[in-house]
Amino acid sequence: MIIYVIRRMLAALAVLWGVASVAFLLLHVLPGDPAEAILAGSGASSAEIAQIRRQLGLADPLLVQYGRYLLNTLEGDLGRSFFSNRPVMLTIVEQLPSTLELATAALAVAVALGLSLGILAALRAGAWIDRAVMGVAVLGVSVPVFWSGLLLIWIFSVSLNWLPATGTGGWQHLVMPAAVLGLVGAGPIARLVRASLLTVLRTDYIILARAKGLPEAIVVGRHALRNAIIPSIALIGLQAGFLLGGTVVTEVVFARPGLGRLVIDAILWKDLPIVQGVVLLIAAIYVVINLSVDLVSLALDPRLRQ
Amino acid sequence: MSVVGPLSRRCWRLLLLIVVSVLPGLAACAPMDVAPVRTPTPPQVIREPSRAGGKLVYGLTLSPSGIDPHINASAELGIPLTSVYDTLIYRIPGSTPNDGKQFVAGLAESWDMSDDGLTYTFRLRRDVTFHDGTPFNAEAVRANLERIVNPDTQSQKAIFLLGPFASVEVIDEYTVAMHLSAPYAPLLDGLAQVYLGMASPTALARWGVDYQFHQVGTGPFKFVEYVPNDHLTLIRNDDYNWGPALYDHAGPAYLDEIEFRFFADPAGRAFALEAGDAGVMGELPPFDAARLRQDDRFGIMPVAIPGQPLGLMLNTRRPPLDDGRVRQALLLATDRATITQAIFGGESSPAYGPLTAVTFGYDPLLAQRYPYSRDEAAALLKEAGWSDADGDGVRERDGQPLILDAILMTWGSVPEVAQLVQSQWAQVGVALRTETLTYPAALQAAREGNYHIIPQNFSGSDPDLLWAYYYSNQPFNWSKVSDTTLDNLLDKGRNTPDPAQRAELYAQAQQLIMELALLIPIRDPVNLNAASARVAGLHFDAHGWFPLLHDVYVREQ
Repeated sequence: MIIYVIRRMLAALAVLWGVASVAFLLLHVLPGDPAEAILAGSGASSAEIAQIRRQLGLADPLLVQYGRYLLNTLEGDLGRSFFSNRPVMLTIVEQLPSTLELATAALAVAVALGLSLGILAALRAGAWIDRAVMGVAVLGVSVPVFWSGLLLIWIFSVSLNWLPATGTGGWQHLVMPAAVLGLVGAGPIARLVRASLLTVLRTDYIILARAKGLPEAIVVGRHALRNAIIPSIALIGLQAGFLLGGTVVTEVVFARPGLGRLVIDAILWKDLPIVQGVVLLIAAIYVVINLSVDLVSLALDPRLRQ
Repeated sequence: MSVVGPLSRRCWRLLLLIVVSVLPGLAACAPMDVAPVRTPTPPQVIREPSRAGGKLVYGLTLSPSGIDPHINASAELGIPLTSVYDTLIYRIPGSTPNDGKQFVAGLAESWDMSDDGLTYTFRLRRDVTFHDGTPFNAEAVRANLERIVNPDTQSQKAIFLLGPFASVEVIDEYTVAMHLSAPYAPLLDGLAQVYLGMASPTALARWGVDYQFHQVGTGPFKFVEYVPNDHLTLIRNDDYNWGPALYDHAGPAYLDEIEFRFFADPAGRAFALEAGDAGVMGELPPFDAARLRQDDRFGIMPVAIPGQPLGLMLNTRRPPLDDGRVRQALLLATDRATITQAIFGGESSPAYGPLTAVTFGYDPLLAQRYPYSRDEAAALLKEAGWSDADGDGVRERDGQPLILDAILMTWGSVPEVAQLVQSQWAQVGVALRTETLTYPAALQAAREGNYHIIPQNFSGSDPDLLWAYYYSNQPFNWSKVSDTTLDNLLDKGRNTPDPAQRAELYAQAQQLIMELALLIPIRDPVNLNAASARVAGLHFDAHGWFPLLHDVYVREQ
């Protein structure tokens, strides 16, 4: 078990190095000169642009820049934003809590909604309620957040005045963003739970349990669900990562701070240190989530331990 | 240059007239409570105590990345910071070259320029202290200017406003001189901008590179904190008693607190206002503004922005646009009034030249050039050898079809404008291919010249901004024009101190730019602000983007 964890962690380091390198290369291959973007509105001369480019370290050969970036990253120094001149680490630390808050709340909504809808649909397979639930699941995945978010704001903030439309603060600020984003995550979970529960419900041991005269709640809750949930754990792990990335639009619609907005602006303006820092961080979170999911599955499913 | 003292009664009438004449949109939106109703009272009216108190949430569009006014360049940073800093002088909103003056006293009581135009001397107020208690004096001005021009500061805008700055000299405690290496008429305009606002030397020295999160000025509001993407908070400076004559009242501001918040999603801005999440909101989409106009809980306050219009630059180096007749034909084939009405909902005017109508030195005669005429456009194209012999709807010459490549960016409704332009040009047999790029990528493509058409829209309050975008071989000269007559006019405009003479030079430059057909002006940008009807006293400075929040108060419900 310990060897397995150590092996996985070494692999994780290699993944992070790969991600850092690919992010670095991709960003530098993209067209555009950050120094030019910084100075365009001021009407600077070519010499003045060149000076800023030197000061940002962009005039060095790519390999030199890459080496410097790797060394600094190893030392924990992610550099400073080209535009705000603020340390990348500080910028991320500032924006991360709000994004984590939203992603966690949305994941909770997704799991609660996904599990209950999935179970409901499986138990009433083929009935109208099944079709309705699966319809909601498809709707959740396909309705864009920038539309559903505005719709909720219009209903609950502008018309009913129940919830604040934007910003952060108390739990009231979190309700609509978490609901909108959680609905997106709930769809796939509901579908998978329904499918695997249906499969399990047709197996021999469930027939046996029913033949023994066990109450339906115990048949489903204790016997069926335990096996049916295993594929969903991996999916929930993936959804956690997806929701973390999916906060981008939600943050913009609900005018919340967060990494999503930070990184979108940084990509559009070619603020390389910020993009590199955030990509590395998201990759690290993904790696940790994946590792945890595997360990949880290991704990839940004895077959994997052999 | 004239010495400026307190405003005379006549000047106040003039000022009133100017303010009323430059904000014509305000008259149209009655019943409107946020309109800056001016009472013609001499100098500044006494502060009305009953208006004091309250908090305002002011909605901005983007969270500025970097808000050190000496370093960063965004317009967004100026919206909050105009209330934190005072400038040496202030530009009178809407002043024209024929007005007696364009500037009023700020932290400098008076100023003059040497005959050779190389030295500007400022006599400073003696009663000013920074928010941290540091006295404001000539040494403070020196510390600010030296910080800005220090290469380590990496100033992205402020340093360019200083032009050919050479040195700063402290003459006595309250007199300071700035020396230039060449005459530079736009200097005063630069000194009136928040980017050259005066910061506490104590705070600058203490915080260094992190100063942007600990800003200390002399303005009507004190900087409390900035959390990027979340909020920026200011509180009233109770000691403030040195406001410029642009403000409606003397003494401290009315509001206790202002919180700036960021609403990046244009579609949600009106909702946030309606839900009460903000009291003032900048840059509403035109159709939301039209909707809120019908609702007497809100007022719409459009502010025309000086600088360059949203325009399509034509690359004169790339065939077939190296032929002036083709460029002129494109101008004639573009129905700017229809585009402006369709996309900007009549909230802004079509543009006619390289400067917007509210820019100092704008030449109104330009409005008569290039009226929309498909026939004339077709005739010019035919004269240039382009005709549609094969009847496929696209003209050709020597077997080459008349297809133009446009680079688009996503700001300013550029993609929508391009769609209409595309369909209008198709009617005269010109095909337009478009490609949308991110800003840095578009800048690179612009440098390399890989386009026929590229949109542009840089704001600025002095016509000298044409220099950077039309002077030979400048990096942002996207029409790639190289014309010695134009260069001469732009050089002279930069070196001539007299406002009326400057205006004449820039009128010639604007005429020449349109004669050469270097751009297709589309519309004059307008900042569509909306406010709750409870918010009163809001008005804007000469640069259009920046609110003067000193006079704002919140009415009881």
